[in-house]
Amino acid sequence: MSLRSFALRVATLMGTVVALACHAAAHDTLAVLRGVQQRVQTLLPQVRSAVVAIRIQDGTASGVIINRSGLILTAAHVAEKPGKELRVVLHDGQVVRGTTLGLDKATDAALVQLLDTERTWPHVNFSRAVVSVSPGDWCFALGHPGGFDKERGVVLRVGKVIRHTANSLQTDCVLMGGDSGGPLFNLKGEVIGIHSQIWEERDHNMHVSMAPFLRSWDEMKNNLVIHVWGTGSGGYLGAAIDMNSAGKIEVLRVLEGSPAQTAGLLAGDLVEMLETQPLRSASQFSNAVRARPAGEEIQLRVRRGEVVRDVRVKLTSRPKEDEG
Amino acid sequence: MRWNRPIGLCLGLLSLSLHAGPRATPSPEEGPRGTQALGKTVPLLPAFRSAVARIVAADGRTLAAAVWVGPDGYLLTKASEIPELEKARVQWSGDRTAALREIRRLPALDLVLAQAVGVKEVAYTDFSQGLPLPSYGQWLASPTLGGSEIRIGVISAQPRAIPGLGPAMGIRMDEKPIKQGVRLLSIAEDSPAAAAGMEPGDILTRVAQQPAKDVKTVHEIIRRHQPGDLVTLSYLRDGESKTARVRLASRTRIMMNWDGEDFANGGISIRTDDFPSIIQHDLPLGVQDMGSPLYDLEGRAIGINIARVDRVTTFALPATVFWSKIQPLIEADRHPTQALLPP
Repeated sequence: MSLRSFALRVATLMGTVVALACHAAAHDTLAVLRGVQQRVQTLLPQVRSAVVAIRIQDGTASGVIINRSGLILTAAHVAEKPGKELRVVLHDGQVVRGTTLGLDKATDAALVQLLDTERTWPHVNFSRAVVSVSPGDWCFALGHPGGFDKERGVVLRVGKVIRHTANSLQTDCVLMGGDSGGPLFNLKGEVIGIHSQIWEERDHNMHVSMAPFLRSWDEMKNNLVIHVWGTGSGGYLGAAIDMNSAGKIEVLRVLEGSPAQTAGLLAGDLVEMLETQPLRSASQFSNAVRARPAGEEIQLRVRRGEVVRDVRVKLTSRPKEDEG
Repeated sequence: MRWNRPIGLCLGLLSLSLHAGPRATPSPEEGPRGTQALGKTVPLLPAFRSAVARIVAADGRTLAAAVWVGPDGYLLTKASEIPELEKARVQWSGDRTAALREIRRLPALDLVLAQAVGVKEVAYTDFSQGLPLPSYGQWLASPTLGGSEIRIGVISAQPRAIPGLGPAMGIRMDEKPIKQGVRLLSIAEDSPAAAAGMEPGDILTRVAQQPAKDVKTVHEIIRRHQPGDLVTLSYLRDGESKTARVRLASRTRIMMNWDGEDFANGGISIRTDDFPSIIQHDLPLGVQDMGSPLYDLEGRAIGINIARVDRVTTFALPATVFWSKIQPLIEADRHPTQALLPP
């Protein structure tokens, strides 16, 4: 029997009520299911060798190698602090050494480096298109629940994205202790999340999205620990938006001194696209903004009456008094 | 053997109790993997649904699922969940029920073959077409809740044998010998011993009618049983003689769950190990769904769900390990050998 699990954190969700943005029940046909099966079965042999088990002291967790020199994405509650030595179990059972780099405790993202950087490590790509993940998308989770078990192999779970927030994804790919730090893939075989927390129900499985990794990449590579959202808190536009009755993203209010005001946005403007991404929901828009770092310039396609124009806005960090 | 402490889940338990306020939870139908995920587009659903029955205790609790394996009421179910099969009834097609006649237990497979008394005509599952063995990532479907819902999931790990560590009841005993028997030091949460009301400090005097001389003897008596067996304990509490009945569970199940870490799962089967061959899948099933049939999307019967192990793991017995053993038992039961009359 293998090591007993290093646990997943159990979600301490903000507030007591979790409003689940459940997408409309999709009627998947047999053809859709077979298509998903075929994708997963094609991808699995390609990606599974990049999934590792991580052993720290008494615990065991998971991780995924994302480049040839052995950089690993995992969860911050696995890494705990920079510079920690750990043992990494490869898919074939071989045990190698690694060390923790930086981590983002606010979102549960962390990096680990394998010590032997000369070797070409099996690895997978991760998705930089954070905002393209939508509720209802198919995905699959891999990991070593309960610890590495060679007879069993890596454990696969196939499911759908239920919810997408600024820093996390919720899916119905069931997770448990030992899965922490393991990868969630889209059907292109790219990592879109890292297993982080569970709640009691079976569809309450939380994954860190790629947003915190992308935002704080340099800090984490440089062994920094992010405790709160400072500069890493994501972009700020300063406009209240919502979906109007016609299903368009409408600017309701523009805050004084905000980037939105500087760019000349007005209440009543309709935002149609962010860069090349058509906007379908208010949360998709605000998540896309928050997933970008402060200082980044974005282009918005804005409709005012009959006039459509492209506006460039430089995002800032969220003002301190504007909590929540 | 050393069992590492599952640090975080214990902490998690605390935060769970703190945050167990009202939560908006989707009904199974709203979730992407509930009934509606398959929708009406799956032509096999009606057949899947009528293949399953429930085994129901006298007090109305569902003990396990069962699958019809013969038109004349033969069925298979999970043996260790139903130690006293003939006290239970089978319920199917909504409200039809029948008494049960036990034919044979197969302890190696944790299956029991039984017949619903007086049942002449049921739709049954033929497991002979369950080849080839399905592979990693393949969709599977099972009827649940007596056939009112179909759930889907995938093969999530490599097929393999699951070694057994024997039965246990979830007690730690004091090695120090005392005259009356063996003193209990601690009781595992949610264990058979806890369910039977055992407490630390109780002194075991007899186990299965045999004297509890010392720790070693108790272990030996327990080891002669199977997970699922009912065992009578005699013990002293504050000098008073008492008895209790415990239903033994798999030792692995108890060790993995000593402090009740199973909170985010919804129950673990009594027996979770000692299987010659299993298919591991991620279908969202419960303990009471064990005994139900498992199909592929072509409608072929692949196996029987046999153990709910943890939040992410369910084991199913592949048809290849039991079907060839069951067929002759049914035939023999239908046509009992006639004793030859003397000339």
